[in-house]
Amino acid sequence: TGGHTTEILRLLSCLSESYSPRYYVLADSDKMSEAKIRSFEQKRAETFSESQFSLDRIPRSREVRQSWISSVVTTLYSILYSLPLTYKRKPDLILCNGPGTCVPVCLSAFLLGLLRIKRTIIVYVESICRVETLSLSGKILYYFSDYFIVQWPNLKEKYPKSVYLGRIV
Amino acid sequence: FRFKDSLAEDLQSADLVISHAGAGSCLETLEKGKPLIVVINDKLMDNHQLELAKQLHRDGCVLYCNCSTLVETLQSMDLSALKPFPLGQPEKFASFLDKVLGLQ
Repeated sequence: TGGHTTEILRLLSCLSESYSPRYYVLADSDKMSEAKIRSFEQKRAETFSESQFSLDRIPRSREVRQSWISSVVTTLYSILYSLPLTYKRKPDLILCNGPGTCVPVCLSAFLLGLLRIKRTIIVYVESICRVETLSLSGKILYYFSDYFIVQWPNLKEKYPKSVYLGRIV
Repeated sequence: FRFKDSLAEDLQSADLVISHAGAGSCLETLEKGKPLIVVINDKLMDNHQLELAKQLHRDGCVLYCNCSTLVETLQSMDLSALKPFPLGQPEKFASFLDKVLGLQ
């Protein structure tokens, strides 16, 4: 969604050609991100000869301020929905930065790893908005990601297993 | 206007920006080197937008206030005291990722 998409596209801006093909996973209710992504990829195609990417959509796992209990149910549903997608794509790397959409995708990849079907490296970058506290996605994925990146030193202190590279967006 | 795809043009021609505390708005404005006053929405509960605005204020990059103190802020502001905002470095992220994935 919106801010998350802008941030993640900035993160992608310096990645080399090795990071290909790129599969973007969006919430089905997200109207704006698709345009931003296409524009980013179009620009990228001007520099790099290859530009393999596609967009996949999954049901939104949680609405803003949705109640806790119904969030658990909708998230479980989203994990089940994500499993076939993650199984089909079998990504080497998942990069995410916090929208609710990323939790089921990462958890489904984690599950496929446990089942020895595909080992995916999960890299989570907490949003630059998060200076003192982690987002809910962050709090969950702190335990499931291979690399958990924060952008402010305060968070590095609170979450010692995280990686601090300074501000990267 | 209620909604535009991009505010880049408006930002470029502005001398002062007054905005809510959304990260996108703040960052876009600061990156263009425009002075920024951030207005916090008191009525939004669990306002994590506040974290970034507070930090930017601590770093001396923005002025901040709420709806009721906006006029006062505009009257007493000293924009020359605002510090420039250092840009983020996505290349550090790319290096890090290349390293951990063994792609160097």
